Amino acid sequence: MQSCRRKSLWLALLASWLLGLLGILPLLRLAVPTGPRAGAPQGWPRWLDAELLQSFLQPGELPEDAPQLRRAPRGGSCDWGACFDTSKCRSGGFKVFVYPAAEPTSEMQHKILASIEGSRYHTVSPTEACLHLLTLDAPAGACSLVPPKWNGGKNHLVLRLHPASCSGTFQLGWAMVAEASPTVDTFRPGFDVALPLLPEAHPVRGGAPGQLRQHSPHPGAALLALAEERGGWRVAATDSSACPWDGHCEQDHGPEQTHPGAALPNATFCLIPGRRADALRFLQALQPSLGAALLRGYRLDQGGHCSRQEAPTAGAGCPPGDAPHAGPRPASADPVSVGHLLLLSGEGHPYRPREPAFLLQIIQDRILGASAHPSLLWNSPPGALLALPTFSTSPLDFPFYYLQQGSRPAGRFSALIWVGATGQPPLKLIQAVAGSQHCAQILVLWSNDKPPPPSWPETAVPLLVIEGHRKVSARFFPHSAISTDAILSLDAHSSLSTSEVDFAFVVWQSFPERMVGFLTWSHFWDEAQGRWGYTAERVNEFSMVLTSAAFYHRYYHTLFTHSLPKALRRLAEAAPHCVDVLMNFLVAAATKLPPIKVPSGRRHEDASPPRVPGDLGPAARDCIDRVAAGFGHMPLVSSRLRLDPVLFKDPVSVLRKKYRGLEKP
Amino acid sequence: MCASVKYNIRGPALIPRMKIKHRIYYITLFSVVLLGLIATGVFQFWPHSIESSNDWSVEKRSVRDVPVVRLPADSPIPERGDLSCRMHTCFDVYRCGFNPKNKIKVFIYSLKKYVDDSGVPVSNTISREYNELLTAISDSDYYTDDITRACLFVPSIDVLNQNTLRIKETAQALAQLSRWDRGTNHLLFNMLPGGPPDYNTALDVPRDSPRRYFLLSSQMALHPEYREELGALQAKHGESVLVLDKCTNLSEDVLSVRKRCHEHQVFDYPQVLQEATFCVVLRGARLGQAVLSDVLRAGCVPVVIADSYILPFSEVLDWKRASVVVPEEKMADVYSILQSIPQRQIEEMQRQARWFWEAYFQSIKAIALATLQIINDRIYPYAAISYEEWNDPPTVKWGSVSNPLFLPLIPPQSQGFTAIVLTYDRVESLFRVITEVSKVPSLSKLLVVWNNQNKSPPEESLWPKIRVPLKVVRTAENKLSNRFFPYDEIETEAVLAIDDDIIMLTSDELQFGYEVWREFPDRLVGYPGRLHLWDHEMSKWKYESEWTNEVSMVLTGAAFYHKYFNYLYTYKMPGDIKNWVDAHMNCEDIAMNFLVANVTGKAVIKVTPRKKFKCPECTAIDGLSLDQTHMVERSECINKFASVFGTMPLKVVEHRADPVLYKDDFPEKLKSFPNIGSL
Repeated sequence: MQSCRRKSLWLALLASWLLGLLGILPLLRLAVPTGPRAGAPQGWPRWLDAELLQSFLQPGELPEDAPQLRRAPRGGSCDWGACFDTSKCRSGGFKVFVYPAAEPTSEMQHKILASIEGSRYHTVSPTEACLHLLTLDAPAGACSLVPPKWNGGKNHLVLRLHPASCSGTFQLGWAMVAEASPTVDTFRPGFDVALPLLPEAHPVRGGAPGQLRQHSPHPGAALLALAEERGGWRVAATDSSACPWDGHCEQDHGPEQTHPGAALPNATFCLIPGRRADALRFLQALQPSLGAALLRGYRLDQGGHCSRQEAPTAGAGCPPGDAPHAGPRPASADPVSVGHLLLLSGEGHPYRPREPAFLLQIIQDRILGASAHPSLLWNSPPGALLALPTFSTSPLDFPFYYLQQGSRPAGRFSALIWVGATGQPPLKLIQAVAGSQHCAQILVLWSNDKPPPPSWPETAVPLLVIEGHRKVSARFFPHSAISTDAILSLDAHSSLSTSEVDFAFVVWQSFPERMVGFLTWSHFWDEAQGRWGYTAERVNEFSMVLTSAAFYHRYYHTLFTHSLPKALRRLAEAAPHCVDVLMNFLVAAATKLPPIKVPSGRRHEDASPPRVPGDLGPAARDCIDRVAAGFGHMPLVSSRLRLDPVLFKDPVSVLRKKYRGLEKP
Repeated sequence: MCASVKYNIRGPALIPRMKIKHRIYYITLFSVVLLGLIATGVFQFWPHSIESSNDWSVEKRSVRDVPVVRLPADSPIPERGDLSCRMHTCFDVYRCGFNPKNKIKVFIYSLKKYVDDSGVPVSNTISREYNELLTAISDSDYYTDDITRACLFVPSIDVLNQNTLRIKETAQALAQLSRWDRGTNHLLFNMLPGGPPDYNTALDVPRDSPRRYFLLSSQMALHPEYREELGALQAKHGESVLVLDKCTNLSEDVLSVRKRCHEHQVFDYPQVLQEATFCVVLRGARLGQAVLSDVLRAGCVPVVIADSYILPFSEVLDWKRASVVVPEEKMADVYSILQSIPQRQIEEMQRQARWFWEAYFQSIKAIALATLQIINDRIYPYAAISYEEWNDPPTVKWGSVSNPLFLPLIPPQSQGFTAIVLTYDRVESLFRVITEVSKVPSLSKLLVVWNNQNKSPPEESLWPKIRVPLKVVRTAENKLSNRFFPYDEIETEAVLAIDDDIIMLTSDELQFGYEVWREFPDRLVGYPGRLHLWDHEMSKWKYESEWTNEVSMVLTGAAFYHKYFNYLYTYKMPGDIKNWVDAHMNCEDIAMNFLVANVTGKAVIKVTPRKKFKCPECTAIDGLSLDQTHMVERSECINKFASVFGTMPLKVVEHRADPVLYKDDFPEKLKSFPNIGSL
């Protein structure tokens, strides 16, 4: 029995061995391919002697080349270095002289010149100027005069708003040309500036915000709108299958065809042919921010600044008759990204109004060279016109780019207490503010006829008294003593508790580009009088916060002091109440967002008489209307919410709450 | 076969004599042995045969043995390169129709040795660098060996160094390539020479110590005029400017390429570049200079003084961030120009220069892949790599976000929102929710996602009659992600996700929530808030639903968000999170919170005070234990998602949004949203 079992075991083993050898082996042989398997890519062979291959550069052959002579600058191919003399701009600052127009000028030209004359760059002395501006838009025949101090065109900027006007009348030589829709044949990159072709009705300052209200394309929107020759638009099929990859788009003379001059149809992309007459459509397409697909022949960028692979260039370069590349959208293509880049150009600035300003900014950037705007500042909101390079060239210093830079605002603030003519030393306020763990320093701006008291309360943080500023606008001066990004602006009359300060600052850290305040005003359109007004009566919404107690970024001091037009600055001097309105306009124009309101535990109406609504005199009432006129539009945005602590007035034990001070009735 | 027959014969005789137990034992034993044998057989023979065939094929492949092609002297010469070529005129994009992943397909011609009529080779067959370059392409996703599918063709004819080429014959060789067609869709690499390849590895360590020289020129062959100007700079600014030249008095055995001299002082090159803040790159015979690559590697900021020089990859790389370009005319002012750059910006530029080198220039492979990526970006512009991805160093990229909804837009109130109710079979409760939500003024459409495949939704006549369109979507599978699918029916930008048991929210509260969303359209705006906490004892994340002063998530049982996030959730959710959620039937809301916070970098907004929610967490059938397992599961979700995202994207805030006059001492009837926070 035992041996039998062992025997059978051996037999079975033997049997399986045989099976294994005889049965499987031939099968394996068959299964193994003789060469490399078909189907998988073979790839570039791994050479046996790869290590022995020679370098493409022989050791005797030095990487250095024979020297070469410097190129002489030629008029025809000017570049920035050769044809522009920056020495004057460096020594005397960036000053612009405008040749007075000899002939009756067009409306647009007039507006642009007026806008430059009102800017901080303008000078009346041609010898002092670093840039001479000449407009060439007069009707043909009237523009043959070579201006005085022409000097071969050096340091001249020739503005040509309408293509081909006055071309060839005299040699432009070394002058830069800022031209609407130039062609690649004549454009000198890095030297000339490409402008959009503007319609006559284009606003000079401010301008209406873009028509875009939505982040994503409407589901019903057509994929493509084509600019027609006679000024209308044609909507191509929504169906992307009409434009297969390997062929031309089927000519779909779709059902919809708008009338010449009609508004742009609702479409995601818009195809603008490379005809001069169609250049106007580009701006039209940007306003509602469609993805514009251009046919070739255009310089799109404003002096090379908007050089990201932005939507305007997304389709640039289709052979005529084809759909833009973006046409066959893959199912999972990101629906918003294309539209968005466009918006930026529409909303941000380059293509929007303020043309003279950005034109000068581009040229100033070239003069500044390395310390000019980084492209991030040009290409993300609020745009280079509102991010002054004189403040900083690092995006980290501005309030707008924290998220893009992967950083966050620092955890300290400086309290700036303005003591006006009737003010008393705000001892209680200083104690309350100094009690905040986030407070880094307290600056008292003493603007009172009486000398400041010799002794101030003992505080845990440094306290500095700055004397001698009389003007109200001086409270928004970028004092060098301010050491933090966050500023808590206060009046001697303000009354705040430490809890309120702490909570408001924590909120500001979440919204560093906005103003965070306690007391609010809201603006309204006064139908009866046909003008803007504002009120401090507590209503259900607000659009301004009072700077008598508000957190904001210190960059807004620089913006206030250095970017406001002269007229508005004079207004601020004349009407002290207006500085609040001005500051709110400025921040709203930069952010396009409403300020933030946080709860104030006390009844501030009782505490701060001069700023309360009822006392607003006629001059102060007029203020908002004049500021709105100065800005050219109404940037203020209303908000209907207040940010409270998470457990604010919730039915839980007060001991659980972090900001107990806010709960007091 | 014989073996199995034998077994069959012996088998029946054997079995009756054994007990059942033994029989099973033997059968098992035999099958195990048999399986083992088969396995060994496979392991023994399979790899061997592959290897041997591989060896055999590589054996033949030496560069010296490649096929020889004789070019007749009168073979056609291709037309000269068309200088006016643009991507759209000289490139046939329609060859790139085969694009499974928006990637171009690149074909490499097989290597041949070209000889002229008299048998003299046209060029060096292939250089080491070009071989590396082709290997890199072949290893990448771009490669295809199917010539009919390719949209870009790379000849294996090595033209890296023009000096060693016989121009005419090389041109003839190119012209006879099978798909040459005037060079359409062909890519030739003509490399700017890199520095000597055998660097000292010490260079690879970035240095933080201050640099001795402010400005350094290390090029050897410069035009006397430039050298004169550099000399003048040095004379004027003394120690901080160093101008180096070729060494004249070196002994023979020293490699002169690795040394530079200033008067009698000898410096090691390229190490000396690390000692300078700015390094001059001046015009030579060719515009491109090898020194640029060395300078970048040393983390020295290149000062490019060569008008009309196109910097490498300038189409995508923002050289302003890593270099200073000074016009040749302004060479005399270069020192003052550089002095005016703030220190912080200089440090930024140094980092950027080094990052460019590491990412795009440090190896032939990096150069090859960057080149193909640029061409790929041109062909598929909608899938192109963004400016930030090209230019931001990884440290910035990791921390930064580029919010797709970055524009400060406040959507018009008139558009309203679409409410999406996810339901399974709680019809009664669902109808109550529908009735309640329909009272909200800004509701524009109601979408019911019917997640029950076994049961049909109730008849149309039974549904509550409401003033807005009501649509029922039936799903194919009972999955939680159905709630976040970008349905075509959603026409508004705002979406209100609401559970079929959330009946306690008042119309004022929902309307106010929508108003808040309009002010923060890129955030999740929701009612019940939750918090994630770091558990120090367990060293992991913990889910918290107690009364806290902070909030970092909102539950999507009742939350407003932009419909774009539906698209992101469905198509762009990282890793396996979506499947994980569907498999666990939990945490879809936490996943959404992670997704939105990660892409926008912003915190959620909790609206209105806390109220008692009838939610899964609170209705627990037998309170505590279920509640606790729920918390454990939710904590697990947070830890899982944090590991997939590679970071903790959630942002903690201490605020919530209330109406401006909430709980203020003000007549209730004058408030816009009086009915808020009632329990």
